[in-house]
This record gives sequence, C-alpha cells and structure tokens, in this order.
Amino acid sequence: MLPTSDVEALVGLGILLTALYLQSESFVGPLVDAIALQSLLVSVLLGYLAWVDDDPSLALLAGLAVAIRVLLIPYVLRRQIRAFRWRFRELGASQRVASHALAAVAVAIVAWFIFQQTLGPALPALPGAAFPFVLLLEGLLMLSTRTNTLVQVMGYLEEENAVVYAGALFAGGFPLFLEVVIFLDVLGVVLVAVILSIQRSVVGAPEEEYLEELTG
Amino acid sequence: MILSSPVLWLYLVLLAPASGAVLSQVPYPRASEIVARVTSLLALAAGGALLALPGAGTFGPYFGLDRLSDLFLFMVAAVYASSTWFSRGYLSHVDRPFLTPERYYGLLSAFALAMLFTLSVSDLGLMWIGVEGTTVASALLIVLERKPASVEAAWRYTIIASAGLTLSLFALLLLYRETGTLDAFTLAAHPPPLTGSLVLVVGLALVGYGTKVGLFPMHTWLPDAHSEAPSPVSALFSGVLLPTALYAFLRVYDVVPQPVPAALRYLVIVFGLVTALVAAFLLQQQRSFKRLLAYSSMENMGVATVGVGLGGLALYGALLLLVAHAFAKSSAFYSAGTVLRRLGTTQMSRVRDLRHRLPATGAAWALSGLAVTGTPPFGTFFGELFILSGAILDGQLAVAGVLLLALVVAFLGVNAQLGRMIFLEDPQGPSPRLSENLGETFLPWGNVLVALLLGLVSLPYLSEAIRAAAGAIPGGIP
Repeated sequence: MLPTSDVEALVGLGILLTALYLQSESFVGPLVDAIALQSLLVSVLLGYLAWVDDDPSLALLAGLAVAIRVLLIPYVLRRQIRAFRWRFRELGASQRVASHALAAVAVAIVAWFIFQQTLGPALPALPGAAFPFVLLLEGLLMLSTRTNTLVQVMGYLEEENAVVYAGALFAGGFPLFLEVVIFLDVLGVVLVAVILSIQRSVVGAPEEEYLEELTG
Repeated sequence: MILSSPVLWLYLVLLAPASGAVLSQVPYPRASEIVARVTSLLALAAGGALLALPGAGTFGPYFGLDRLSDLFLFMVAAVYASSTWFSRGYLSHVDRPFLTPERYYGLLSAFALAMLFTLSVSDLGLMWIGVEGTTVASALLIVLERKPASVEAAWRYTIIASAGLTLSLFALLLLYRETGTLDAFTLAAHPPPLTGSLVLVVGLALVGYGTKVGLFPMHTWLPDAHSEAPSPVSALFSGVLLPTALYAFLRVYDVVPQPVPAALRYLVIVFGLVTALVAAFLLQQQRSFKRLLAYSSMENMGVATVGVGLGGLALYGALLLLVAHAFAKSSAFYSAGTVLRRLGTTQMSRVRDLRHRLPATGAAWALSGLAVTGTPPFGTFFGELFILSGAILDGQLAVAGVLLLALVVAFLGVNAQLGRMIFLEDPQGPSPRLSENLGETFLPWGNVLVALLLGLVSLPYLSEAIRAAAGAIPGGIP
C-alpha cells in the first residue's frame, strides 16, 4: 500500500492538472466536467483520509462534497448551458489560450514560492501542502481573466475546492459544523449567481448606454 | 432584573430580524411592511440596551460580546431600522420591481441579520459565515429596479466579494492550524507567537475582508453595487456593511501579539492610505451622485483602516469615524433616493437648485455632505482628527501628510459637486418647488443630526462607549 503522503501528493497532482486545464479551456461544457472532476478528486482525498484516520466527520464531508460539488452544482451549470446556447463557448478566450496557460504556470510558481517561504518550515512532513494555496490563486486568476459568467462561477468553485482541500490536508479537527455551513453557504452563493446569470440573459447583455452608468 | 441580562438582548437583536425575514413573507404587502418595521425597531431597542449594559462576555462556545461588538451592533441596528422605515416611499416609485415587497423586506431583514450575527459571535469561522451571508442576502436586493446595469452590478458584487472572502476563509484555516481554536476572545487574550504563518494569515485576511471593505485594488464591486442598489440598501451597504467587514478583519488582526510588528502595521496602513487617496481622486470625475457617495464611503473606509493600522488614539478615531459616518452616509443616501424619485435622474449635471425645489431634502443633503467629509463639528471631523493626531504622535508624518491630502481632496470634491446641485440655479430658469413629505425628510435629518450630535456634544455616553470599545482591543487606548 502506498504511504499516505504519496497518495496525497498523487491526488494533489491530479487536482493541479485539472486547475491548469481549466485555465486553457474556452468551451464551457468541458469546463463544467473538469470542475466536477476536480471536486471529485478533492472528495476522494477526503474519503481516503477519513478511511486512514478513521474519521467519520471527514467521511461526511466527502459525501457532502460529492452531493453538492460533483453532482448538484455541475447539474445546475449544465442546465444553464443548455438553456442559453450562446454561452457554450467563451468568446475571445480561444485566442488567449497560450497567455492564460503561461499565466497559470507563473501563478503556480509564485504561489508555491510564497507558501514555502511562510508555511514551508512549519509543514516539512507534507510535501503537497502548497497545492491548496496554488489552487486558491489559480481560481482567483480564472475569476479575474474570464468574462463568461458561468466560467467565473467555476473560478469561484475552484477557490472553494482549495479551501476544502487545505482543510483536509493540514487543518485537521476544524469544526465539522463550520465546514458543513460553509458548504451550504457556497451553495447559496452559486444559486444567487445563477439567478443573476438568468437575469442577465433575460435583460440582455448590458449595452453601452447602460454600462455608461457603471463608469468612473 | 431580567432586563439587565445581556443574553436576553443578544437573543432579541438576532431574533428580531430573523422573525422579520420569515414573518414578512405574508402575502399582504402592507402587513409585510409593518412586520419589517416593528422587528427592525425591536432590533434597535435590543442594540441600544446592549450598548447601555456593562460589558457582557461570552455566551456558550460561539457567542460573545464586548464593548466593540456592542457599539457595532447598535450602529447596524440603527441604520437597519432607519432603512426599513425609509423603504416604503422608495419602493412606491419602482416600476416592475424584481422583488415583491414581501421578498424585499424579507431579504432586507436577512441582510441585517447576517450583519448582526457577524457582530454577535466570538468564533471567527462563524464570523466569516456571517460576512459571506451578507453577500447571499443582499445581492438580489441590488437588482430591485431590474435594469441591465443593476444586474451587472449585482453579478460583480457576488463574484468579487465571494472570491475575496474565500481568501479570508483560507486565512482562518491557517490560523486554526496554528492555534487549534477560532475563538476571537481567547486568541486576543492569549495570542500565538508571531510566525511566517501568522503573517500570511493577516495578509490573506486583509485582502479577503478588505475586498468587502472596499479597499483598493479589490474595491471594483463597491461603486457599482452602491450606485445601482435602491437607496435604503445603499445606505446599509455604505453605512454598516463596510464597517462590519472591517470589524471582522479587526478581530483577526487582534490575534497578532503586541506590539504589532512594523511590517504588518505598515501593510494595513498602506492599504488604507492608498484606498483613501485613490477614492478621493476618483470621486472628482463622477457624474452620478450615487457613485460620488460610494467613492466617498470608500475614502472613509480607507481612512478608518489607517486608524486600525496605527492603533491607540487613531483606533479610537477610526471607531468614532465609522459610527458618525454610518449615520451621515445613510442620511446622504436617503436624500439621494428622494432626489432620484422626484427628478428621475442620478446625473449630477441634470440636478440643480435643490434649495428651492426640494428645500428640506437639499438642506439635509448639504449637511450630510459636510458630515461625510469630516467638517467640524460633526463626529467624523473628530474621528479624522484623532487619526491624524495618532499618526503625528506616532511619528508617522508622511502618513499624516498623505492622509491630510486625501481628506482635503475628498472634502472639496464631494462638497463642490453637492453644492452645485443644491445651490446653483437651473440655466433653463426657475423650476417649481416639489412636494416633500415627512417620511422622506425625517430620516435624512434624524440621521445627520445624530452625526452632528456625536461631534457637537460628543454624546458623553456614546463617546464613552466608543472609548470603551477601543479599549477592548489589544493595542487600543488604555
């Protein structure tokens, strides 16, 4: 059987690969699949740690992560894509794939460096401890570089995956009820985002005269 | 005897808006409004009682009050009550609203509940949930008028604020890993040793909560959301939501052992200074009076953040500034709402001669403009004076100089633009006087007078409460 740290590093690598893929994909459908896969990998890690540590609270979180982040939220997002066909690809993003990918790699290196400088000495036994921090900044990068509303929601979900990942990896004992409420809170944000996204479609893309109101 | 029990008032301050959120869903708009009004007054009474009672302590593992939270609870409850009462007239002019009155009052109460909850808990994790809850509860309120620009503003608010707050959640995970607890009072009393990890915690919390405070460069949601939200909601955003987020950061900042290392202090001070300066210059080029007020809020939050970073007397000034600003800015937004309703525009170039057209509203607006820019003898003036004095006494002359520049630029920008709308005559000739009712003028006047009283007589009792609140923070005044 593989040592726990190897399993953590292996799953972490998979999660990072999904993060890099998310940065360079412009079709929204595959992005939803990728974010669901990333959430699944985080859930697998939670489940594995629950099994190794015999911790039922981690098992509960793994179940919640599967229900909410692997199944429910991707289902809602896919329905959105079907309802509004024009959203299935982010306009212009395909021309920026190379720069997005380069920026993603640069952010990963910077995040790794910051983490090692601040927390590295305290976590020598966890070689993959920097992965969640890298994932957090990758999510932030996605949010700031994309314009498609659904893709922005996925950037936010990636950030939240980073938090759950960090909680599992190096904040053992974090109060369970807090984790559960945070899961529900995230669900609330996504639902509000979807309602707003629908409204955006109903009222149409803001035209110049409307955007005029938001200048300055 | 039971009335002197803080726990009773703590329950009431939370249960009142909670019941308002639920009971206002009755399918009768008038009943819904009455429920919301009554419950907001109950919350205000409970907030006032908590401020009047001596320091309370903790209640169970998750709730806890000290003089700082008491002060903020009162401030939020007061602006919540005034915004609820101001809403009726405002809602009446909205065509095809996105929310029915029941939903509007329900979300308004839920929004207030999330802020009051944030201020009532001692657990930093729950505090984060409260701050994030404010986003969930308030985002749909911005869309009330169903305009493309308001949907865009609500979208940006939801995504930017939530993304920023995730950074502060990450900070809390790191803090928990470092200390094994998230109880703010325990951590403040027994701070962990300063490590690289703790520096990262404060940095992430500053950027995370700072997004919601409106600190530069994470402020981009703020002018959009404040300008597109209905005026009573803008008053809550500007007056109390931003300070509530600053409160959450302050609780994390308290964890740093005293004396706070210079690098961390400068990090906070620089974020505040740059925010104040950028906002002061940006507000010069605004065309919408609501965006002007939004940038003024950003400038005030920057100044208050500098006070937090400096500590001591400046922290006392920051708290005085936040309280006086809450009342003054809510007054300014109520007046702005009345002008929008009567004249149908937010464009400053199209608003003239308010002193004749809407004399009571125009006068309240002029006063609130002076108040939010720290004119003596408003409470905001003394708050800013204490922050400047704190910087000078601390030997931070450069900080004091830049801060003074920001304050002067903001003062000139806000008052010149408000002055043109109020005192300049319409080039197309005199316009008829428009009707004003008591409901529209009472609250703007009432709130700006509180800001005035805070400075004029310094309301000995409230001033003492602010002093006690500053004393409750490590590094605050003794």
